[in-house]
Amino acid sequence: MSGSKEDDRKGSSEWRDFFWNPRTHELLGRTAASWGLILLFYLIFYLCLAGMFAFTMYILLLTLDDYKPTWQDRLATPGMMIRPKGNQLEITFSTSDTESWDGFIHNLNSFLSPYNDSYQVQTNDECTPDEYFIQEDSGEVRNNPKRSCQFNRTMLEECSGVLDRFYGYDKGQPCILIKLNRVIGMLPGKERQSPYVTCAAKREDSDKIGPLAYYPPNGTFNLMYYPYYGKKAQVNYTQPLVAVKFLNASLNTDINVECKVTSNTLAAGSDRDKFAGRVSFKLRINDK
Amino acid sequence: MGDKDDRSPKKKKGATKDMDDLKKEVPITEHKMSVEEVCRKFQTDVVQGLTNAKAAEFLLRDGPNALTPPPTTPEWVKFCRQLFGGFSILLWTGAILCFLAYAIQAATEDEPAGDNLYLGIVLTAVVVITGCFSYFQEAKSSKIMESFKNMVPQQALVIREGEKVQINAEEVVAGDLIEVKGGDRIPADIRVTSAHGCKVDNSSLTGESEPQSRSPDCTHDNPLETRNVAFFSTNCVEGTARGIVICTGDRTVMGRIATLTSGLETGKTPIAREIEHFIHIITGVAVFLGVTFFILAIILGYTWLEAVIFLIGIIVANVPEGLLATVTVCLTLTAKRMAKKNCLVKNLEAVETLGSTSTICSDKTGTLTQNRMTVAHMWFDNQIHEADTTEDQSGAAFDKSSVTWLSLSRVAALCNRAQFKAGQDSVSILKRDVAGDASESALLKCIELSCGSVRMMRDKNKKVAEIPFNSTNKYQLSVHETEDPNDNRYLLVMKGAPERILDRCSTIMLQGKEQPMDEEMKEAFQNAYMELGGLGERVLGFCHVLLPEDQYPKGFAFDTDDVNFQTDNLCFVGLISMIDPPRAAVPDAVGKCRSAGIKVIMVTGDHPITAKAIAKGVGIISEGNETVEDIAARLNIPVSQVNPRDAKACVIHGSDLKDLSQDQMDDILRNHTEIVFARTSPQQKLIIVEGCQRLGAIVAVTGDGVNDSPALKKADIGVAMGISGSDVSKQAADMILLDDNFASIVTGVEEGRLIFDNLKKSIAYTLTSNIPEITPFLFFIIVNIPLPLGTITILCIDLGTDMVPAISLAYEAAESDIMKRQPRNPARDKLVNERLISIAYGQIGMIQALGGFFAYFVILAENGFLPSQLVGIRLNWDDRSLNDLEDSYGQQWTYEQRKIVEFTCHTAFFVSIVVVQWADLIICKTRRNSVFQQGMKNKILIFGLFEETALAAFLSYCPGMDVALRMYPLKPTWWFCAFPYSFLIFVYDEARKLILRRNPGGWVEKETYY
Repeated sequence: MSGSKEDDRKGSSEWRDFFWNPRTHELLGRTAASWGLILLFYLIFYLCLAGMFAFTMYILLLTLDDYKPTWQDRLATPGMMIRPKGNQLEITFSTSDTESWDGFIHNLNSFLSPYNDSYQVQTNDECTPDEYFIQEDSGEVRNNPKRSCQFNRTMLEECSGVLDRFYGYDKGQPCILIKLNRVIGMLPGKERQSPYVTCAAKREDSDKIGPLAYYPPNGTFNLMYYPYYGKKAQVNYTQPLVAVKFLNASLNTDINVECKVTSNTLAAGSDRDKFAGRVSFKLRINDK
Repeated sequence: MGDKDDRSPKKKKGATKDMDDLKKEVPITEHKMSVEEVCRKFQTDVVQGLTNAKAAEFLLRDGPNALTPPPTTPEWVKFCRQLFGGFSILLWTGAILCFLAYAIQAATEDEPAGDNLYLGIVLTAVVVITGCFSYFQEAKSSKIMESFKNMVPQQALVIREGEKVQINAEEVVAGDLIEVKGGDRIPADIRVTSAHGCKVDNSSLTGESEPQSRSPDCTHDNPLETRNVAFFSTNCVEGTARGIVICTGDRTVMGRIATLTSGLETGKTPIAREIEHFIHIITGVAVFLGVTFFILAIILGYTWLEAVIFLIGIIVANVPEGLLATVTVCLTLTAKRMAKKNCLVKNLEAVETLGSTSTICSDKTGTLTQNRMTVAHMWFDNQIHEADTTEDQSGAAFDKSSVTWLSLSRVAALCNRAQFKAGQDSVSILKRDVAGDASESALLKCIELSCGSVRMMRDKNKKVAEIPFNSTNKYQLSVHETEDPNDNRYLLVMKGAPERILDRCSTIMLQGKEQPMDEEMKEAFQNAYMELGGLGERVLGFCHVLLPEDQYPKGFAFDTDDVNFQTDNLCFVGLISMIDPPRAAVPDAVGKCRSAGIKVIMVTGDHPITAKAIAKGVGIISEGNETVEDIAARLNIPVSQVNPRDAKACVIHGSDLKDLSQDQMDDILRNHTEIVFARTSPQQKLIIVEGCQRLGAIVAVTGDGVNDSPALKKADIGVAMGISGSDVSKQAADMILLDDNFASIVTGVEEGRLIFDNLKKSIAYTLTSNIPEITPFLFFIIVNIPLPLGTITILCIDLGTDMVPAISLAYEAAESDIMKRQPRNPARDKLVNERLISIAYGQIGMIQALGGFFAYFVILAENGFLPSQLVGIRLNWDDRSLNDLEDSYGQQWTYEQRKIVEFTCHTAFFVSIVVVQWADLIICKTRRNSVFQQGMKNKILIFGLFEETALAAFLSYCPGMDVALRMYPLKPTWWFCAFPYSFLIFVYDEARKLILRRNPGGWVEKETYY
């Protein structure tokens, strides 16, 4: 038994010696010079590595185009998104409780502020509808900055927030804005057919959803807003919107709504991605 | 903890006391008692035996006459040990954390992501599969031993109540009167009461190869040496004997040795210690990093759940999951290779032990020698002639034309009762089985080889009378008719102890002519006898005489009981000496061991002179080295005046060893490089092994007998003999030499050293990829970038692409002559040392990580997310409800779209690791030499390179992998991202090795040579 204790003591003194050996002036088994040398080595080594990494990154950046990413194959089907964006894509509110939809109103107001007619007229062009607004570069000469088409807030009519300050939330007829994700160079339709949005309830909720109204009419994203040239070339690009107004949705119940874009050029999204070419959200309107 | 500490030493103390008791010599006293006293002691009768009632009573009291089998570990305990040993605990922690995280997610979220559950299952599967794998490997190697265990139930002939009954040997009790005959195995320790030409083979107990006669008389105080005790499990070779059982079961001498053996605690094998050390390092790093980042994550404001997930990731990245399996496979491969070279390895870890061995304690008989008496020298015509002792008769022949030799060979052939067993005409003479004792067989074979058929010679010279050898006469004679049918004289031939033979001779044959035996010739005889005896050989004298026809006419009735014929005034023909000669390959093997820095110690039960002669013959005592006695003889001074430090060699007798203190023992082992222990008992062998181990040596012991088994068990590696070895010794050993040849050990040492070097390389290779596995997590947590490498891809590297290349390094050829360097010092030369970690983690690993990160940045940038935008993006990136995340070009991404890009990054990072591991594999081939010196001859390694690449391509491009493992196809260009880094690794390491070679002992070597 005494043996093991002795061993313990020996062991701990070994550790202490390893940590700081006063005889040889070794800290963690190395002298100051030894530490200095190894640290210097690693410093230089890592500096060289950093240099190498910086160099390869520099080469990478040289190969990149400023206006268009090298690959876009993952964006074949553009995503869709709604506004206002509630928590986890749930729009739940009570018509009578102002506070419950106040946040949505703010969200929509701030989202729509760049769409104000005055601003749009000031910065953007009026374009020919149902035609792509093509602004090609001529060879090496960039045709920049590229102009954008006007999307006026008033085009959303009932859902513009101009006529109805509360976007129908106070009356239980809420407006939801739908937008198609920006993808550089995407051409969402051919033969003057603009893509359009349709919304429907998921199976068991189909009787609860009631009639819908789309703004602009037919819920189209007009072709004149395409193609998109990227944030660097087309600084003032205005993303087209579609507003959906639930005119008589059932109260006090969850309604699972799915909105889809229909286009004759865009590929249908995969099943795995719930937001490619479609968007799902839950709507619940309480009356109290 | 404290409780445990308190208890274990006490327990140990009790156990050590028992062990010390067992280490003492055998306490049998019955051999000194008279038969009557023995009978009285056991309440038995020398004629009638025990009564059945008494026998039953004793059986109840003492238990059955069988050895208690050594306690075996239950299979499930072994399995659990595999399941929870090594890294398993860490991985279990990871798996449990995964399940916990999933449970929390399932409880708090509506649609919990299956990732954690999935990962938990994968981790559990990994642990269980590697556990099963190691378990079956172990079980397979221990299965080999099952075959040795089966002993046929044995019968014994006992006399009870005056009747002879065959009973099961297990039912024999002390006091039983027992009868044994030639061919029987002795069922218990027996005090012999009567014997008729009984000889027993004690070789398995004492190591003496010669059968020994048994008689009722006490001839020695030591029970092991006395004639009147026969021991359990030795064999009766010829004759019959009756005796009273004095000990049964575990109380027999053999039983005590067996108990001693199974009671010995064996330390861990050196490689097991190394692996444990390495696991400690890795676990330490993993726990340290894991806990640090767990705390950091909490401080940085991550949720508990996220912090736990980070912890899992860090653990998974840190643990080289496949490494232990790789090590097992490498060891198995080497074990297989060794089995081909006649070293059968019972315990996988023992593969490497021979490589680190610094001392070999070798048994003499059968290992160093051929275990076959062979004629070595002859003296006739006043000249010593050397016979050929090699196994294949390739040695020099002597002059066979002398007439004296013809006479000598005739005497040797005729005065010889040995004969070849029938039906062996096709077998070479040396390999034929002979009925008869060892020295007569040796003579028979020698004559058969040099003079042709002995049987024809005997047929021509019909035997008329014979007096067999007995210990009072010390000679053997026979009378024969002569070859010449016209010559009616009888030929008397005699052989025996040389001095006795000489006394009976008045003449001596020189060049075929009889000459009177004068003083000069007697002195010549003495010198020759001394010289041959000094070589450790057994010398026999031969003489003959043609009996005068007038006194002994044809048909004379020779009476052998009451000798009625002339037995003196004979003609001395010559001496023949025999020895069990060393195996041909042994001197070379001993030399190789010595140049490999391994000390070879001979430990034998044989006589010191024989032992020393063989030791000199095989080079254990090398030429020019003297023992204290030699110096004393040369300088003609008493032994006590010689400074023991002057003698490098020494021969120590077992009886001296008994009186040595521990310090003296250490002193001998430390100061003599060439040591021979003679006349050692099993207990002393154990003490010698313990002495060597006390001095820090890693000891290999070779042996075949039961007497060797405690030493075999205690040794770091016990090597048993496959052909001559007893079951008990094979049981106790870790390795079995199938050809009984010491030279095979050298192969073992070489393979062991090679595998140690190669395991180092293999571990260096595997550990390197840990850094590119950990760094993604660290950056993910600290700078909030999308995760560059996922846990699944980490497992793909550790258990997929890294496996075959790591194993292929086991096939790597040695860089230099590994048999020319000293054995590794287990205290200093670790398998995994700080230099290996520094290279693998600090240098190569870092370059690899940069290669991976570069690929990651390339993919994100080419998809639209420039590096500058990535820092801090993590929160939005991982937000499932954010489906319009904007990239650097203004495009918007859904969650799934950007996750696909992220998983493509994981795939690219994975592929990049494969690419940089190419270079790592090539640089790990060598530790000092350049690849250009070493060459690319390792075909398995080349296969490994292609295999890992193919596997990586498969994982990336196989349809369905996006769902199964979330790995996505890569654009061809992305494969090349890591190429510059791969090239850099190769160039950097070649440069390092160049400096290392140019500047031996310099800073680079001190800091980076692992």
